[in-house]
Amino acid sequence: MLLTRLLKPSLVAYAHCDLPCGVYDPDQARVEAESVYKTLEKYHASTDEHFKARAIQVKEERAELAKHHIDVLWSDYFKPEHVQKYPEITDLCWKAAKQCSKVKQSLDINEAKTLLDLIDKIGDVWTKAGGPTATRMAKQMARA
Amino acid sequence: MEPALRDGDWLLALPLRRSPRVGEVVLARDPRAPERLLLKRVAAVGDGRCTLLGDRPEASTDSRQFGPVPLGDVVARAVFRYAPLGRLGKLRDRD
Repeated sequence: MLLTRLLKPSLVAYAHCDLPCGVYDPDQARVEAESVYKTLEKYHASTDEHFKARAIQVKEERAELAKHHIDVLWSDYFKPEHVQKYPEITDLCWKAAKQCSKVKQSLDINEAKTLLDLIDKIGDVWTKAGGPTATRMAKQMARA
Repeated sequence: MEPALRDGDWLLALPLRRSPRVGEVVLARDPRAPERLLLKRVAAVGDGRCTLLGDRPEASTDSRQFGPVPLGDVVARAVFRYAPLGRLGKLRDRD
């Protein structure tokens, strides 16, 4: 419609502007930590030295990725307001990042389990802070 | 900036020839990407710069991250919303 075209704003300004994308989800770290866990299960079940060597490499890569995702949540997603409301998040992110290093050094599956638990606790805070609606897109939005 | 502003609101903005005042919603150049315009509320003015904050601190990226904005980069004041029609009206300043 001509009227709409005439009235349409000529400039776009951004009021919500979390660069770059504003999408954050602790599940990203969790998937990597699950990989670590399952890789360790397979490592211990195997007798093939080549397979075991590869498993160690994969486990360390995934642990590093988990650490990266936790760092991103901590430095980009969680804001001072969240820390005020959920003070435990500082310690949780710190411990989880350190746990990733522990997992890299160790073949003990319990260390991987501890990492999963820590990520789940971060996930609980993310959920309480309204993360699912604030940072994720609804499913099947692309079809609409 | 919700609930004051929502994604997709059509606003009338007037060029700012004076210093911005605390509580006003202004258009400012993003210090991190000058071709990008931001809509934020003025929280403090002084020393040739102003602090811009979003209304929802937990979801906003603002002067807490990118620091104070030079007054020269505050280009206009958002004064009126003309669409959607259901939310037509003057934008309120905050104390």
